[in-house]
Amino acid sequence: MASITLKSFIGLRQSSLENHHSTITLPSKPLQYLRHNIIASKSSPKITGRNLRVAVIGGGPAGGAAAETLAKGGIETILIERKMDNAKPCGGAIPLCMVGEFDLPLDIIDRRVTKMKMISPSNVAVDIGRTLKPHEYIGMVRREVLDAYLRDRARDAGATIVNGLFVKMDKPIDKYAPYVVHYNAYDGKAGSTGTKMTMEVDAIIGADGANSRVAKSIDAGDYEYAIAFQERIKIPDDKMVYYENLAEMYVGDDVSPDFYGWVFPKCDHVAVGTGTVTHKPDIKKFQLATRLRARDKIQGGKIIRVEAHPIPEHPRPRRLSNRVALVGDAAGYVTKCSGEGIYFAAKSGRMCAEAIVAGSENGTRMVDESDLRNYLQKWDKTYWPTYKVLDILQKVFYRSNPAREAFVEMCADEYVQKMTFDSYLYKTVVPGNPLDDLKLAVNTIGSLVRANALRNEMAKI
Amino acid sequence: MTSSMAFFSSTTPTNLPSFSPSSKTHFPINPLLSLKPQRQVFGSVRATENGSGAAVVVEEKKDSTEEGNGAPVKADVAELGAKFEDPKWVSGTWDLKQFQKDGATDWDAVIDAEVKRRKWLEDNPESSNNDFPVVFDTSIIPWWAWMKRFHLPEAELLNGRAAMVGFFMAYFVDSLTGVGLVDQMGNFFCKTLLFVAVAGVLLIRKNEDIDNLKKLIDETTFYDKQWQATWQDEKKE
Repeated sequence: MASITLKSFIGLRQSSLENHHSTITLPSKPLQYLRHNIIASKSSPKITGRNLRVAVIGGGPAGGAAAETLAKGGIETILIERKMDNAKPCGGAIPLCMVGEFDLPLDIIDRRVTKMKMISPSNVAVDIGRTLKPHEYIGMVRREVLDAYLRDRARDAGATIVNGLFVKMDKPIDKYAPYVVHYNAYDGKAGSTGTKMTMEVDAIIGADGANSRVAKSIDAGDYEYAIAFQERIKIPDDKMVYYENLAEMYVGDDVSPDFYGWVFPKCDHVAVGTGTVTHKPDIKKFQLATRLRARDKIQGGKIIRVEAHPIPEHPRPRRLSNRVALVGDAAGYVTKCSGEGIYFAAKSGRMCAEAIVAGSENGTRMVDESDLRNYLQKWDKTYWPTYKVLDILQKVFYRSNPAREAFVEMCADEYVQKMTFDSYLYKTVVPGNPLDDLKLAVNTIGSLVRANALRNEMAKI
Repeated sequence: MTSSMAFFSSTTPTNLPSFSPSSKTHFPINPLLSLKPQRQVFGSVRATENGSGAAVVVEEKKDSTEEGNGAPVKADVAELGAKFEDPKWVSGTWDLKQFQKDGATDWDAVIDAEVKRRKWLEDNPESSNNDFPVVFDTSIIPWWAWMKRFHLPEAELLNGRAAMVGFFMAYFVDSLTGVGLVDQMGNFFCKTLLFVAVAGVLLIRKNEDIDNLKKLIDETTFYDKQWQATWQDEKKE
């Protein structure tokens, strides 16, 4: 069983125990404060002669979505991205609701996954996807295509896209003074260190990913992260037919002690990978095990690319400081259990931008921290149930091999499949039928008890 | 037949620890037979004799080659791809017809077989294959079989503990206060103590359980604390 060592988590403040107890009654507290703060922002000064200027650092889904919303809201937006053709290592899965909410053209989606196969440690294989309606699917995209599309749309809406690398920011000297952003402008020249440039902006959105420099600049604190390791493998055409619209998930201690191994179909090859938080040095071993488990299905394949990237496990202790806010991976908005981040990155970018547009009244007023806190409040309220449910699922079902066996057994149930896909595709935690929920709870406990009983017997051998 | 009997008698429990590693790598069938406790060994011999005589013969042949080779052969197991094989494992699930005992299915044997399969796979992970999918579901084993095998012995243990604690506590309280058992049950404080005693026996079976419970409680709220960390700043301001 994976032993979980919990570091005492008190964020950045060395707070005493009283603060801990007070944070548990969270839902009521921020609202109290917000009442004060809303009044404060109404009194922030009107800007004369120009619009509000906002810098978006990072041009991935979060940055692109934020820049587009800001530009549409009439705000002077500058997006800084260091590598315009970056093919980000990524699973590349987007839920159905993202296509609708972000008006994505269907040709961005390389594949529509309508079936998934979950494979337990003892190779019990369960097909899920029977409950999907004909128009429902999980979209597989290439990050370079998606990111470029969102950036181009932001540019069309009026944002300025700059090819450069964010270096540091100077904090404002008084309450409404601008931030000074220091960056190296590449201007499309590859390999050069770029020319040092600065610009003054009123607010900054940090959308620069898991190793965010903006986060470092505002002392946002660290998060625990998983290492996701992936090999892109070109497999023979006849084997590729099997993965036409099917993705696989392998669970087991051999594949990962706290995550899962996957085979995701991409445009013309498959991505085979795994990840871990607690046993990072063994990632290569886990990758070998994943390839072994999928061996018969990817035999004859050639590895065309190897990539790895950190994935945050939880939000940073501080997601916002004065007029700088973090969104996407920089903030740590990756769900547990599935490790999904693209949709949440784009949505948080958009939500943060909307809060800035609203707080600045379309760029005519200065914003302050309270406006950005509105974004945090809205985000936490909307998506907290989703994150919490996935956290519980991970804690219960990724604990140990018996738990994973029970997990795969549960996935065979139609009700589970329907609930899982509904909440994944539409990003809402649907309550469902209470009687069915009760039956599901009983079955889950039964599966867990059986699997653990078998494991105790295994220990006796 | 006699040589096979000799084979089994040589694998007495004293040899089991050393025998199992090498046996597992070569003879998928062996772990099932050699790892059973000794009292069952002769039973299983009889079973194979009745069933497929072929299985026994195969073992003898492999037996001689196994003794000849030692550690080096273990190295190319990965290439050999020793798969899990068992005559009772048919089409990705346990063939219940082969587990008949006195006309009814011997669920204990099914559980044992699945335990061995899982242990084998944990030590020798296999590739999952579409042509031979595994479809076994533990829920085909009826609930009363699980109860009889796992719950009842533990329930007996816990009830025994509770009864012992209860008897001595009742005697102790009676000797101190003179209040008999029936009157003790009427007292609120005694009822509370009884509740605590029952909960304690249920939840805390080993010393480690106390730590485990504390860790579990911390775990349930840990993620919440991580999310709320950003709001702690606001409180200070």
